Amino acid sequence: MSALGHYLEEEGLATVSISLIRPQTENTRPPRALWVPFELGRPFGPPDDPVFQRRVLLTALQLLERTDGPVLLEDFPDDDPRRRPDPGWRPLLVSARTGAGDSALLADDMEAEVLALRGAHDRWVAQYRRTTVGVSRLAIADAARYVAEWLRGNNPESQRAGFSAPLMLRFAIDDLKAYALEAAAAGSTRPSSKQLNDWLWNETAIGLAIHALRAALLNAEDQRLRLIAENFIVPGARVRASG
Amino acid sequence: MTRLSDLPPAQAKRLAEIECPTFATTPFVSGPPLSRRKIAIVSSAGLFRRDTEPFRGRDSDYRVVRGGIAWEDLLTSHISVNFDRTGLQEDWNVAFPLDRMRELAAEGVIGTLADAHYSFMGAADPLGMEPHARELAGRLKQEEVDSVLLTPV
Repeated sequence: MSALGHYLEEEGLATVSISLIRPQTENTRPPRALWVPFELGRPFGPPDDPVFQRRVLLTALQLLERTDGPVLLEDFPDDDPRRRPDPGWRPLLVSARTGAGDSALLADDMEAEVLALRGAHDRWVAQYRRTTVGVSRLAIADAARYVAEWLRGNNPESQRAGFSAPLMLRFAIDDLKAYALEAAAAGSTRPSSKQLNDWLWNETAIGLAIHALRAALLNAEDQRLRLIAENFIVPGARVRASG
Repeated sequence: MTRLSDLPPAQAKRLAEIECPTFATTPFVSGPPLSRRKIAIVSSAGLFRRDTEPFRGRDSDYRVVRGGIAWEDLLTSHISVNFDRTGLQEDWNVAFPLDRMRELAAEGVIGTLADAHYSFMGAADPLGMEPHARELAGRLKQEEVDSVLLTPV
């Protein structure tokens, strides 16, 4: 992001950048940046809080009017209020047989779980009138089936022309995670990202299946699969010592 | 929050020490008050329209996001799994503040909001992005944009 600011400014455009990782911005020294103390993924802070978002945005834009640079790097003072857990939120009941040692069982559980989440996900879509599911362009049951087949060791072909099988796997997993997280956030409570992700990674068959798939594919022959397994399906903070 | 002290130590170290390009010059373009500027958003969130091609791997090009896009049509295929997605699932403005920018333009706080906005995929190699960024600069100037809000994810 900081590099983009540098290139655009060199071409004659004034830029201001939001910074999420202050040390990186200190190193790259873009012309103007506002560091914000928020979680990665939400540079303008809490969802559905226009007043707070506007304050962040205006603080950043006002750096464009300053003449005492370069380099300007300011800090936004306030934390994201949505970081706090909502004690009223209840995780969706899921029925993973949590042994997780049996990949075939886990694959079955995951497919069943995706079907069981449909009601909650329908409520999410009715509530927000959108979904971020769709990167794989598979229907969600098909995405679940595709990932399950990998877990069963069947290494399925890509179902989309021009997309390699490992890329389809990553996109299908992205869709499953988005589907589960949206389903779990439907309703009037306001769970924190930690509440939602604790549930996904510790309690659901989807989370357990992705953990198991990561462990299995770390030894795959295909280098792309190993790379995706190691880095691009389970968040670094959620990787288990056992793989 | 991304105070590095809140992250697992290995991840914090990796993020803090990630190799970033450094530059010999520090360009600094001044301009009129915000109320007379035309501003576009350039995101590195790997955004693309649902009916177009996603970013694959570490693609270093960019995609156009029209200002009139319906939120339902916006997706991300950013390769990183280490950022929160629950916030943008609920409200895209946490990463791509189109509604907030529209409000500021309607109130006259900023002059004009551009019709077209752009997204890169932030995990791409910055040196690979450079030619695309310079080409984008020409396009933005053609669209009479003078200022850019850069947002990571």
